[in-house]
Amino acid sequence: MMLKRLLPAAAVLLALAGAGAHAADPIKIGFMAPLTGAGASDGNSAKIGAEIAVEEINRAGGIAGRPLELVVYDDQANPAQAVPIANKLIGQDQVVAAVSGSYSAPTRAAAGVYQEAKVPFISAYALHPDITKTGDYVFRTALMGEAQGRAGAKLVGELLGKKKVVLITLQNDFGQALAAGFKSAAQRFGVEIVGEYEYSIKDRQFGPLVAKVASDKPDAVYASGLFFTAGPLVGQLRSGGVQATIIGQEGYDSEQFLKIAGAAAEGVIITTALDRDSSSPVTQRFIADFAKKAGFQPDMVGASANTAVSVLAAALKEAGPDDRARLRDAIGKVEIPAAVGAIAFTPEREARKAVQVQVVKNGAWHHYAVIDDAELLKP
Amino acid sequence: MLYLELLVQGLIQGSLYAMIAVGLTLVYGMLRILHIAHAGLFTLGGYLAVTVMNATGSLGAAALAAMASAALAGMAIYRLAYQPILDKPPFVALVASIGLYIALEEVFRLVFGPYGLAFAQPPLQTPVAALGLSLKAGELAMAATALIAMAGLYAFANHTRLGTAWRATVDEPQIAESFGVNPVRVRYLVFLIGSALAGLAGLFVAVLSNQVEPTMGAVPSYKALAIIVLGGLGDVRGSLVAALALGVVEAFGTIYLGDVLDRDALAFAFMIAVLMLRPQGLLGGR
Repeated sequence: MMLKRLLPAAAVLLALAGAGAHAADPIKIGFMAPLTGAGASDGNSAKIGAEIAVEEINRAGGIAGRPLELVVYDDQANPAQAVPIANKLIGQDQVVAAVSGSYSAPTRAAAGVYQEAKVPFISAYALHPDITKTGDYVFRTALMGEAQGRAGAKLVGELLGKKKVVLITLQNDFGQALAAGFKSAAQRFGVEIVGEYEYSIKDRQFGPLVAKVASDKPDAVYASGLFFTAGPLVGQLRSGGVQATIIGQEGYDSEQFLKIAGAAAEGVIITTALDRDSSSPVTQRFIADFAKKAGFQPDMVGASANTAVSVLAAALKEAGPDDRARLRDAIGKVEIPAAVGAIAFTPEREARKAVQVQVVKNGAWHHYAVIDDAELLKP
Repeated sequence: MLYLELLVQGLIQGSLYAMIAVGLTLVYGMLRILHIAHAGLFTLGGYLAVTVMNATGSLGAAALAAMASAALAGMAIYRLAYQPILDKPPFVALVASIGLYIALEEVFRLVFGPYGLAFAQPPLQTPVAALGLSLKAGELAMAATALIAMAGLYAFANHTRLGTAWRATVDEPQIAESFGVNPVRVRYLVFLIGSALAGLAGLFVAVLSNQVEPTMGAVPSYKALAIIVLGGLGDVRGSLVAALALGVVEAFGTIYLGDVLDRDALAFAFMIAVLMLRPQGLLGGR
């Protein structure tokens, strides 16, 4: 009997002790990325990028004396995994906010859970339009696919002056959004589309496609892809005799693309998020830290995840970790120099930032141009 | 001109499918097992080829490593995974095989990393201009290798004692055994040959796309299934024809039907269409 009466008192004491330790407790940020399965390479880069941001903030003293802690789960790029992970991060790990270092399908699935629980959620590089439309707690630090596609049309028609273009489109949300954006702006920049083809994300052998593109004789090829499809595609276009300028996007943006495409990568131009020759000390520090931690050169995915965590940290400094509605408002007002350059948010919670145009020169990514046309890039 | 180019590209792709499908159809013909893990041996061959090539610079050593590693792994799969469950219903082996394939994918990822590998100096990249077509040395080498391998296999099956024993075991296992043929030896032989060819196919895919990835076997795993069904299950000649036909159908289909069906859907649409007209397979006479 005695014991039973004592128990609640002990619980109160424990809770008080817990509250006392509160000041030094880490602030938890949830993070999901595909660490196994087909998306494991991107997931790994995203995780490293996010960890670098956390380490940097903690070295500088954390948020009001409390360190940040990244709680990481593997979603296997699978929407069916993303929902239980979101529930776990919110219910069990009690994170103040979360970042997705994953693709569109799992990010979209998780967004609903975070919105429902009113926990701020940032998509680092997943581009599906519906992600941010889920609700006012969901943000994105990458430019939407259509905006990038429009930037691609400007790059091809205006900056490069190429008019006859073949479109090769990856059959998924990412590729189709890029193609839609490119086509919507093509006429404006005097670009004529002379051929249009699609391929599946599983394709690595492009012989027939290359033969057809060669017979179309374009000035430029606007091909969407991820490094593991774009690498073989670019290599096979060149060895199949296609000499036209090849324009890609941020899916190409990795060291692995350069390895796979080899000499064929020279001269390939992409619209992306990371400027290797940036004069921004924040970007340069990220590039150095990433190479040191990962053992290979940084990519767009790593830079985007790094940016998403930095944005969250900046908002936490402003609003503190205790009120998620305040935190949400603070994210919307963030304006910081990040790994991907200066970033802020539109009222639709989409990134407001410039498109970095990079070219492959001597086997490495280099600055080619910046497209910073607010009208063209608006969501 | 474009049509000729598409036809040639289709035959090249078909020769790749043939090299993968032959092992699958041999195993099915002998044990009635749908050997999904076969595609894992294809991946293994690709990884070993790139690793050995990058370490030694010798394409010959790379080819040997690809074939030997796949052959040994194939025989080990038979001994450790299939032999203990041969008396179970066929779906047991199928489930084991699928599980094994998924496990292999993750082993490749753990051992070689998630980013895949590429050749430091990709071999066989020289452009070859013939008949006004622009081909790569690797594409010609792959088609030639497939042709030689199939011819060799045919000669072996029809003109050697071991080949005769093998055919006898497939057709009449009990009678063959009573004539002194050791069926277990023949089974190892089937796994050795089929797996070595899959390993070699892995090398050629690595050469053509200059990359190997943990999941590179996923597409061949089910496409080869479509091929052996098309060829009339267990029929080697039928599978070869089906592989080449599928390559050509895909080459034209990706260009002219790409808006309607993607490449993989095409393979199965083709399979369904053929099975509706010829349920016994392309060459089957039953």
